[in-house]
Amino acid sequence: MERETGVWRLVFLALPLGVFTVLVIWPLASSFYYSFTNWNGFSDNFEFVGFSNFNKLWTDKLFFNAAVNTAIWMVAAVLIPTLLGLGLALLIDSRIPGGPVFKSIFYFPICLSAVVVGQIWIWIYQPDWGLLNVAIGAVTGSSPDFAWLAKPDTALGSVIAAWAWQHTGLAMVIYLAGLTSIPEDLLEVCEIEGASTWQRLRVVIIPLLTPATVVVVALNVINSLKGFEILYIMTGGGPFNSSDTLAMHMYNESFKKYLMGYGSAISVVLFIVALTIIGIYFRELKKVDEIYG
Amino acid sequence: MANAHSAAPAGREFNPWPAVIFIVLVCLAVLFLAPTAGVLLSSVKTTREIALGDLWSFPTRLYLGNFIEVLNKPAVHQYLINTLMVTVPATAASIALGVLAGYVFAKLPFRGSEALFLVIVAGMFFPPQVILIPLYRLFNAVGLIDTLYPVILIHIAMGMPICTLLMRNFFATVPNALREAAILEGASEWQVLTRVALPLSLPALAVLATLQFTWIWNDFLWPLIFTQSDEKRTIMLGIVNLKGQYSVAWGIQGALSLVASLPTLIVFLFFQRYFIKGMTMGAVKG
Repeated sequence: MERETGVWRLVFLALPLGVFTVLVIWPLASSFYYSFTNWNGFSDNFEFVGFSNFNKLWTDKLFFNAAVNTAIWMVAAVLIPTLLGLGLALLIDSRIPGGPVFKSIFYFPICLSAVVVGQIWIWIYQPDWGLLNVAIGAVTGSSPDFAWLAKPDTALGSVIAAWAWQHTGLAMVIYLAGLTSIPEDLLEVCEIEGASTWQRLRVVIIPLLTPATVVVVALNVINSLKGFEILYIMTGGGPFNSSDTLAMHMYNESFKKYLMGYGSAISVVLFIVALTIIGIYFRELKKVDEIYG
Repeated sequence: MANAHSAAPAGREFNPWPAVIFIVLVCLAVLFLAPTAGVLLSSVKTTREIALGDLWSFPTRLYLGNFIEVLNKPAVHQYLINTLMVTVPATAASIALGVLAGYVFAKLPFRGSEALFLVIVAGMFFPPQVILIPLYRLFNAVGLIDTLYPVILIHIAMGMPICTLLMRNFFATVPNALREAAILEGASEWQVLTRVALPLSLPALAVLATLQFTWIWNDFLWPLIFTQSDEKRTIMLGIVNLKGQYSVAWGIQGALSLVASLPTLIVFLFFQRYFIKGMTMGAVKG
């Protein structure tokens, strides 16, 4: 009986593990290997260059620039959708007519692709007839022709706005699910005791939403770390690398300049960043599980 | 409004908050829909109208020329066929692998299976750039660059973690007694999976089908890396391609974006429930 179970385990796991090993685990390990070589993407002849790719990271101004941009991108791409999502969830949860309709409206951008979202927002920022300039013009009475995506000062922020538009709904639905689990009588006690809305929010609701917050933040961190496509489409990392991130820099070095060895070194850095964040996430998740069951 | 009947009985204050919140939400909803409205409006206008700065006004007449042009382009047909040929098999196969692995992790655990499960789930968290270069070399070596196979294969592998996670969590809710009873009746493990566990897990399968379909359909990175010729591109790359060809044909770009988003929009409209479930389920428990 036990032996038979062992056979079934093997039969069931063979294909999934095989696919996962060949297409995920092995390439991951190889990335480390290539990061110590000078492979150019075509030739079969390449050499071991030791740590020189990693040493190059320290002197590569574009790498430093990309690292700073990644930090800005991640903080903004996590904070903005999380806060907006919480705000929307609280508004919708307050027994407003049409709640489900609002929910769908705020949530639907998540089913659009990065290409389409990028396209939509390129038009918003279009200098001549883009909605943003038209709206500013309508308010101020002037006719601005500011090219939001073509100016180093505004490019990254403009893409972050597009990103936030797409991802706010995700945070909102998770917070809405979290809000339904807050016991009704607790809120009634607040009312009886005469707590103000702000007190109720600060002392009862937000602390009880901690598990939802952990999930929202984790999802946003993961998604923002992967946020390459929308930058590629809207700015391509430009102008003057002002919206270049690590993922973007890695793509350019590997597939534009064909410095695959160096690109691998960048991807190793990216991997270590991701691993650190995942480690923190799992630890926090455990803490939350212990406190909230 | 719901409070219309509360013509404030004497002594009780009139509560303005629901009305204020409702108005705030309506304003936000309009703001949220405005970007999409731009695409809708552009797709029914001529390039001339848009260039004259008339994109954001309500159309006085419905111009369908953009849609006709997009839908008559053989290249667009090819993009759509390619995308379907990637999305359908990759969705089905990644779910199938997730079912197999999830069943073992939930019902046939062994020493070290928990650790193995965590390794697979961790695959969900990594940026794809981390494995890009070795995969490029692998598929180049076996001559599969510029075909759809690498795109299908990589979507199966990258989709497996979420499928395994959701299926394991779902199978864990299927009572062990059901499995044991079936085994005592002489059923094999395969029969337990296909006749007992799977019929019970249709909701989980629906969740995964909606998520995987949407993600794979919308993907841009993998076909960008693994395909080169126009005949092998998927629809999302097709949009970017056509943008280069028709640099100022905004109406056509809008129409194409809409056509390309239609399948996922339909999935979203009809299966929103599963969508939300999947997004929250996948993240809550590790």
